[in-house]
Amino acid sequence: MEKRGITAYVIATETFKPLVLAQAKARKVEPRLIVVKHPIGGLNAEELRERIEAATRGLTEATTK
Amino acid sequence: MRIVNPTFGVAAAGGDKVALKPINWATDAIALMSNSKPNARELLDGIRAKLGATRAVDNIDFHYKNSASQPAPKDLIEKVAANYRGALLAIAD
Amino acid sequence: MKDIAEQEVIDIGDMDVEAFNEFAAEQGWSDGMPLYVPTEEKVAKFVERVRGDNRPFPPVPPRQVVPTLQSLAANAVMAGCKPEYFPVVTAAMRGVLDPDYNLHGTLATTHSCAPMVMISGPARMELGVNCGSNCFGQGWRANATIGRALGLMLLNVAGAKPGEMDRSTQGNPAKFTFCFGENEEENPWTPYHVQRGFAPTDSVVTVMSGEGPHNLNDHGSTTGDGLLTTFAGGMANPGANTIYGKGPMFVIIGPEHAATLKRDGYTIESIREELWKRSRVHISRVSKENLETYTTTGHKPDGDWLTIGRDPSDIHITVAGGPGKHSAFVPSFGGTTVACVRIAT
Repeated sequence: MEKRGITAYVIATETFKPLVLAQAKARKVEPRLIVVKHPIGGLNAEELRERIEAATRGLTEATTK
Repeated sequence: MRIVNPTFGVAAAGGDKVALKPINWATDAIALMSNSKPNARELLDGIRAKLGATRAVDNIDFHYKNSASQPAPKDLIEKVAANYRGALLAIAD
Repeated sequence: MKDIAEQEVIDIGDMDVEAFNEFAAEQGWSDGMPLYVPTEEKVAKFVERVRGDNRPFPPVPPRQVVPTLQSLAANAVMAGCKPEYFPVVTAAMRGVLDPDYNLHGTLATTHSCAPMVMISGPARMELGVNCGSNCFGQGWRANATIGRALGLMLLNVAGAKPGEMDRSTQGNPAKFTFCFGENEEENPWTPYHVQRGFAPTDSVVTVMSGEGPHNLNDHGSTTGDGLLTTFAGGMANPGANTIYGKGPMFVIIGPEHAATLKRDGYTIESIREELWKRSRVHISRVSKENLETYTTTGHKPDGDWLTIGRDPSDIHITVAGGPGKHSAFVPSFGGTTVACVRIAT
């Protein structure tokens, strides 16, 4: 998205952070990462709430610097 | 002994810096993009609801790929590039 | 001095095979099994075999580097190929680089997919590719090393390092090698590469990002109709990517099953149609949550049934193997294609 001029944040789990970084390196882009605990898939609504809060907190901190 | 490097390759062109459109995250339109894995939509919907405490969310829109296993189609990327200044991508694994 | 990753030729001093294998493992070049040493001399013999094929390779995802024939050949040498296998290996590499193959997705996914390599045409006999008994298994150098060479290229050129760029949850033994030949001699229909528009005299490599072969055992059925019931039951798998991946899949029919189907009047087209109709998955076999995900991502059930693949043409049919009452089903990653490339001679 950033190659189209759009500021983009990527929410990834800590487990998949190395993949995102490796892919970004190959594409020569600096990823704006918001890292949350793994996993996201398979969580019930209660478990997912923590990820939502962490991701929102990460986005807010990153965009209000 | 001289060997040929099995990883050798010439780096592809690209990586030129592109100027980003200025964005105000408190007011501008934002695209929420799901990789279509289970819970990606729920995660993004939850974030959208939380952002509602601090900003209007009627210009925060949800988009998704038709398949978790395929890259985002070009027309989706073009649509987002044309209509938003910021994007939030969920890689829900 | 350049970093090792930037050098096409590396002087490693005096190393025996064991020391080279330790060195290669440290560099991350190994699939875990012993490697041949890719000396300049050996690599040159391989490159000589493809001198007439000057089409450039595109950048290889996910790593996005453009390989040289030398670096590709180094992987084929390390895999244990003979030089004459190299045109097959480069054809397979061109196949996985078909944009619709979705190499990036198939390598970075958590799915277990591996490149299935099928060889058709005269090259099978010329190179000693096993098309008969145990064709998916061990014992044939061509099968073992051609598939392995492609796997090493995906590791070393594409950058699919397990746990980093290759995020497969459990992997799959087919990631070591999954290469076989069509049994054209016992195929009562049209060989696969001819179905795809090639001449019978062409040698062709077909690649698909698939799971390992799922066995379809049917010793009891005495009719083609009975065999198709068994095949469809094995294909209707709620745990495969077929429902929401909606991609291609292979049914690789054993020669004895093929003979029964042919005797009963089935053609490739009618087999596809029958399997398409019978291999649907009833919604009672799918969890509530998955059904909701399928529905919201464009894969609504047709009544109470979920289809696998998009239409009958997603079911690819060929014949391979030897005597016995077994066939095989190979579901794909989903978001991929079956790519065919003529082997340059």
